[in-house]
Amino acid sequence: MRETPLSNCERTFLLQAITDRKRIDGRQTYDYRNIKITFGTEYGCCIVELGKTRVLGQVSCELVAPKMNRPTEGILFFNLELSPMASPAFEPGRPSELLVKLNRLLERCLRNSKCIDTESLCVQAGEKVWQIRVDLHLLNHEGNIIDAASIAAVAALCHFKRPDVSVQGEEVTVYSPEERDPVPLSMHHMPICVSFAFFQQGTFLLVDPSEREERVMDGLLVIAMNKHREICTIQSSGGIMLLKDQVLRCSKVAGVKVAEITELIQKAIENDKKARKEGGKFGFAESLPEQKITSLKIDKSSVDTSDFKGEAKKIISKSEPPSDAVSKPVVWAPGTAQIGEGIGNAWGELEESEDEDDDADIASVSPESHKVIKKPAKHTSKDIVLSDSEEDDVIILEPESKTEASLPPSVSAEDKDKSPVSKTSTKKKKKRAAR
Amino acid sequence: MMEVAEEPGLREIGCEHSLLSRPDGSATFVQGDTSVLAGVYGPAEIKVSREMHDKATIEVMVRPKVGLPAIQDKNHEQLIRETCESVILGTLHPRTSITIVLQVINDGGSILSCFLNAACMAMMDAGLPMNAMFCGVTCALDDDGQLIIDPNTKDQKESRTVLTFAIESSEKKVLTISSRGAYSPAEVSISLYQSCL
Amino acid sequence: MAAGFKTVEPLEYYRKFLKQNCRPDGRELSEFRTTTINVGSITTADGSALVKLGNCTVMCGIKAEFTNPPIDAPNKGYIVPNVDLTPLCSSRFRPGPPGEEAQVASQFIADVIDNSQIIQKEDLCIAKGKLAWVLHCDLICLDYDGNLLDACVIALVAALRNVRLPSVQISEDTGLAQVQLSSKSPLNILKSPVSTSFAVFDDTYIIVDPTDEEETLATGLLSIVTDEDGKLCTMRKPGGSALSPERLQDCISRAVSRHKEVQTLLDEVLLSVKTQ
Repeated sequence: MRETPLSNCERTFLLQAITDRKRIDGRQTYDYRNIKITFGTEYGCCIVELGKTRVLGQVSCELVAPKMNRPTEGILFFNLELSPMASPAFEPGRPSELLVKLNRLLERCLRNSKCIDTESLCVQAGEKVWQIRVDLHLLNHEGNIIDAASIAAVAALCHFKRPDVSVQGEEVTVYSPEERDPVPLSMHHMPICVSFAFFQQGTFLLVDPSEREERVMDGLLVIAMNKHREICTIQSSGGIMLLKDQVLRCSKVAGVKVAEITELIQKAIENDKKARKEGGKFGFAESLPEQKITSLKIDKSSVDTSDFKGEAKKIISKSEPPSDAVSKPVVWAPGTAQIGEGIGNAWGELEESEDEDDDADIASVSPESHKVIKKPAKHTSKDIVLSDSEEDDVIILEPESKTEASLPPSVSAEDKDKSPVSKTSTKKKKKRAAR
Repeated sequence: MMEVAEEPGLREIGCEHSLLSRPDGSATFVQGDTSVLAGVYGPAEIKVSREMHDKATIEVMVRPKVGLPAIQDKNHEQLIRETCESVILGTLHPRTSITIVLQVINDGGSILSCFLNAACMAMMDAGLPMNAMFCGVTCALDDDGQLIIDPNTKDQKESRTVLTFAIESSEKKVLTISSRGAYSPAEVSISLYQSCL
Repeated sequence: MAAGFKTVEPLEYYRKFLKQNCRPDGRELSEFRTTTINVGSITTADGSALVKLGNCTVMCGIKAEFTNPPIDAPNKGYIVPNVDLTPLCSSRFRPGPPGEEAQVASQFIADVIDNSQIIQKEDLCIAKGKLAWVLHCDLICLDYDGNLLDACVIALVAALRNVRLPSVQISEDTGLAQVQLSSKSPLNILKSPVSTSFAVFDDTYIIVDPTDEEETLATGLLSIVTDEDGKLCTMRKPGGSALSPERLQDCISRAVSRHKEVQTLLDEVLLSVKTQ
């Protein structure tokens, strides 16, 4: 399904509003939308909401062989998916240009900035290392995917704990969470992307563009930074020329925003930790809004199961018991046997389809010819096999009068049975039979 | 979290409607630790190659949390699609597409029934015409024939049989069955009767 | 006249027959098509079978190969079923990677193998943690005429019972496997599951063994797999018409009696090969 295009008046309205330094959702130029981070019951699972944009992050790990050229380093793998749920324009299958761009940016922001200590992921040099896989799913697209995705990735990585391992000689033991507490990843810093949208050849700029604003923007500048004000990645796209001052001003704004977001992530992690420690409730089920008309929660409920056995017996007793009558299979040749009186196949059978119950007159066909038809391999040398490619039917003819005699009635049977056999083909068969 | 209850019971259930802004209908369904997010688009425009002249084309996508959809997800997709097809009045919207996307948020057992419930909720939220609602129920039978409704992952692993049913609301009849493990016919009826309740 | 009516109103055409408790091909509602089995059809495979249910034809070939056992279960082997629906069997299938129906069928067969415990996977292990058999079960549909699942399950069981594996010894000196082709032994087949499929018409008529035509017209499908103890291994009903528990029980009864038929058929066939 295609995205509904933006109408011209909507476009001019949006641009006009931006020139008047107003945004349609009432925010100021440098305002972010509300950010909400919720964690799941598993380690390394989180949902980040940036306004209405929603990203699900999940970190998982696996023991793998390291790369040849980096035998002592763990492997990081990032994958952002634009789920068709997020927008009707996203279709499953081939990755779109946007997706490739976002994935590369995310990789640059998180892997190349060395935010995770990959050497600590090594279990056995050259043999086994942890592969950390970060899966991000965009669930709702309301603009600024990259910021939401980077927050989700960082939050999930901070939240994640991998199972503890011990190495004794060659033997690697992985401990379950019950045996030993899982260990968190060692994070050096938290790089977070901040997006700036530029309008009117760079005269106006907005932080955290919404989906509508993204559609009318001229260019986009993404700065990935950590709270120490170190720039990890910077990318400008859309083909706008930016002045030095503009970039510097953006980086200053980014510094402030990153500090705020980092604090938020840390707070969310703290809260989750506290809830887990106190044995309280956590996870997505708890994040459902309590007082909202669109949501409903039912506590654990028991189901009355006292009378089910009686009811089940009643049903079984009512139904007929399985019949014991078993028809005797017919063995045609070693390794080939047949059962059933229903219709046979239309493959090898001539028009004398003896298995059809409705053709009483055909029932008299002798079992000998029956055999020949069922198993062409058992033919005597006298048999002629003709195939009629037009009909996908194999016609086997026996130069015996018996077969000829039973031909006409069964032709009519076929007429009734299958999709109509045209007259010409019937004629053809007769001709062949005559030959 | 959830202890194996002496008497069979459901885990806590939660549901939220229209939580996403882009899809025409969306819902999240939570059964204990299991949680699924569903989004529905449609009836909407469709590619000519896939359109059906007499009814809407229903498409179901199951998205796992990690990695690409596996063969089991395809199986679930087909089961859910056929279930939805039987309740949606597709003939009211010929030559359109109805897309249902199901995202696993957390798998804590009974995932198929959670998929079904989330899909049904999202379809209601989208306002699709349906002749009945349906609900998914998963039952597990352990070695001594004890029945567990809405099993979690641990129960599912330990039990010998896991059955999932979809039951429609108007006549309480069975729409879908999917099962794992060997069991006797009597046990099916028992489970069925359970899930009807 | 009838042919024209059938083309224009196929469903109405069927209903007329069903009202009289019969089907256009002359069968009764609970009657199967002729089931033909041929085992050992492929000489190059370790086990094979060809099954025909009326026109629906499925060929199953089993190839055994050596492999390393899985790390988490060092004393087990693998069974890998794969259902191929090629353009050969029906025009509805396109060449290329397997479509949804083929994947679903493969999953169904895998479920049947797992659920029925047809083989102890431990039997496929040759040396613990070192060497095991992997059985590639390739099911190829040659003619698609409905009720694919039933045909596939019968073909699979027949082929598995036809498998003869050479004995393998691991020599203690070299640690290499030595295959003795002269002594071959069959697999230890514990169960023989049989699938029975039903189609529901207009929520009222239940017919067994639907043809392709019937499957497309039907409002619901149901497959029940039973084993010889009358236990159900797999039930699969993907949506469609709703059924009451009572109707379901009737279907299960029919499946159990069908199992007996197919069971004797399978026994006869395999016996005939042995006595040859």
